[in-house]
Amino acid sequence: MNDYSQIWQTALIEIQSLVSPANYSTWVKTTKIVREEEGIVFLGVPNEFTREWLFKKCHNSILRILRQLNERVRALEYVVMREDEQRSDEARKKAISTSTIAMPLQDFYINKEDNLNPRYTFDNFVIGPFNELAHAAAAMVVKNPGQVYNPLFVYGGTGRGKTHLIQAVGNKIKSLFPNKKVYYLTAERFGSDLFDALQTSKAQQFKEKYRKYDILIMDDVQFFSSKEKFQEELFHIFNTFHDTARQLVFSSDRHPNIIPDLEDRIRSRFNAGMIIDIAELDKESRMAIIRTKCGPHNITLTEEIIDYLATEIEDNIREIEGIVNIVAHQTIHKNKDLNLNDIKNILKNNAKPKKMLSSKEIVKTVCNFYNIDEDSIYNKTRKKEVVKPRQVIMYILREDFSLSFPSIGDKLGGRDHTTVIHSYEKIKEDIKSNSLLLQEITQLRTML
Amino acid sequence: MKLELHFQEFKKMVMLVERIAAKHMTLPVLSCLLFDVKKNQLTIKATNLDVGAEVYLSAKSDGEEVFAIPAATLSAFLGQMGDYDSFVNIESSSGNIQINTAKSKCTIKAVPYEDFPDIPKVSSEKKISLPPELIVRGLRSVWYSASTSSVKPEFASVYVYLKDDSLVFAATDSFRLAEKKIRLPSRSDIPDILIPFKNITDISRVLESSQESIEVSISKNLISFEIPHKVCIVSRAIDGVFPDYKQIIPKNYTTEVIALKQDIQNSLKLSNVFSDKFNQVKFIIDPKAKLFEIQTKNSDVGENKTSVDAAVSGEKIEVNFNYKYIADCFQSIDSDSVSLQLSGSNKAMVITPIGDKSFMYLVMPMNR
Repeated sequence: MNDYSQIWQTALIEIQSLVSPANYSTWVKTTKIVREEEGIVFLGVPNEFTREWLFKKCHNSILRILRQLNERVRALEYVVMREDEQRSDEARKKAISTSTIAMPLQDFYINKEDNLNPRYTFDNFVIGPFNELAHAAAAMVVKNPGQVYNPLFVYGGTGRGKTHLIQAVGNKIKSLFPNKKVYYLTAERFGSDLFDALQTSKAQQFKEKYRKYDILIMDDVQFFSSKEKFQEELFHIFNTFHDTARQLVFSSDRHPNIIPDLEDRIRSRFNAGMIIDIAELDKESRMAIIRTKCGPHNITLTEEIIDYLATEIEDNIREIEGIVNIVAHQTIHKNKDLNLNDIKNILKNNAKPKKMLSSKEIVKTVCNFYNIDEDSIYNKTRKKEVVKPRQVIMYILREDFSLSFPSIGDKLGGRDHTTVIHSYEKIKEDIKSNSLLLQEITQLRTML
Repeated sequence: MKLELHFQEFKKMVMLVERIAAKHMTLPVLSCLLFDVKKNQLTIKATNLDVGAEVYLSAKSDGEEVFAIPAATLSAFLGQMGDYDSFVNIESSSGNIQINTAKSKCTIKAVPYEDFPDIPKVSSEKKISLPPELIVRGLRSVWYSASTSSVKPEFASVYVYLKDDSLVFAATDSFRLAEKKIRLPSRSDIPDILIPFKNITDISRVLESSQESIEVSISKNLISFEIPHKVCIVSRAIDGVFPDYKQIIPKNYTTEVIALKQDIQNSLKLSNVFSDKFNQVKFIIDPKAKLFEIQTKNSDVGENKTSVDAAVSGEKIEVNFNYKYIADCFQSIDSDSVSLQLSGSNKAMVITPIGDKSFMYLVMPMNR
């Protein structure tokens, strides 16, 4: 975005010399470049009058000036901006003068027809090293829905922007291809829909409902785990969509290969498209997100505060949003900017406590993950399906929690420390060659 | 160039559009009316870049010319002239415009017109034919509820959409919400649209000038109302999504008050004399004691308790409101009596006219 605004600043100086000062300040000054796509520059204008005037009087000169500044520019188009977009730069702070309770209207910004929340767009999607691959894949899908990467499967831990990304895909496709029918839903909703349809014996209507869409976006498909009927219905929808080159987009909190109790035919179909993960957030990305989230509240935080927040809040974008909301609210309420101490206080009261993990909990998570009985870990059994999870637990306890070998052995049913050492070394070696194992362990770590 | 046209018609049309011409803009020509003279036809245009209007008048002319004159000057001149049944002559010579009526002559300095913008046209082919008085009634019934701040353009707009055979008008600033349903004489296909509330006065004024049916065209960013060969007004339309307000309308209530509209209005006005700077009025409703009382208190002025004759039922409740928010809605209520439905001291109160299901008003209480 900075790049555009610099180009436009330079262009403005040139345009200024072409038109009268009155015309300049009426028509040109309030415009800005909103985006650029394959050489087409989209110029944001405040109203239709400006669009007409610029198109009639200045179109060619502006295009020429832009070309001189950047030879990639091929064409120029105008879009009428909403008023709040124009205002976004203005620092605006108004104390709320009324004490009447506001209606909870804001929560309902969802389009009924496609279920998409229009607030999730690519424009407010923060791109960082953690999600740039996912973003690039999504951008490809948007350009050619159904042609490349079908299905697109995005996975990553909670609060990393999966929903934002896949809804942005929907919103973007909707604006680029207005005649395509987009539909967004969560897997849970799909399930309850199917359940209702089966109960009222309207299965056929259910099938038709989903097959009429051109793009189907489904959130949180890990819910399909061990729900055979749902998987079967999804499988059929899958085939219809795939055969007719219609786009499917999925999100999940883990890789399809490690979603337990997923039929192989579904799994292999997920694998046929593009599976891409959203990794952990790095600090720079967190800082960028904090800045973006401050935008709608019209608050500006000092670099020091942003840096502090980015260090303190880890990983979860939703948590960042929550803290920014609190900061914004307090700023308006107190009618002054908050200093670092205030922020520290807010964090102290609101940050979720650092999780304390006992080895028991780790055992429990791992067992759930591999779908085995918890007790078997502590038993003497040497069945294959138990041995591997047991070794993984030992590895994690050693690697991530630096427990001593004897105490690990002690905690897992009184095993000898040499057994633990052997397990640890074995997994460590295996990871190097077995990428599936590595993936499982990465997943487990995010779940802990 | 010489132009001759009927005085009253001319005055009426100038008065219709002159207020649209903006006062303080960087572009001086925007405070002008643009006269576009074609053979036997005069078009007058005015715009403030948010709305634009064109009126078409038949006139006798001996040539073609375009000129612009300050709207304020022309309307002040015409405003002082009585109505009389005669013709007016307009002549242009060397940058001045002479206007001759039977008794008075004036010369107005013309302003260079080259910078006057074109008024955009809605490109959509589809035109919807509607009676203007219905639209004006719908807009007027709700527009005062829209937010005056433009932070959220959706809230600074009147939302118009089709539901069954009625056109529904809704506006909210998130503290109160007004909804008016207007039954349409014939079924038409109308897309949802958000009209900025600050353009509503201009639109209503133009629409009220006609009894003929108007043609409405809608595109993504524009809405236009046109009476063919007479007048056309174009307004920006907001590209956004109005919140799904149906979900916040309370489905049931615990306390109901039915009273004469005039009684409530009078008591509120009386009580408001003693309200504080937030215009806070307190409703005390006690069905057991058959009481509906309005209380106000201002530490600098004094306090007041006024009871209203009403039929009250349900649970006892005490709740605070902003006087202004309640008083606003009575302008849209034509019936004699109204019903107030409450469901708790921090839930919205629903005001509806008795015997008229077309209007509904929601107001949120104050939290102290």
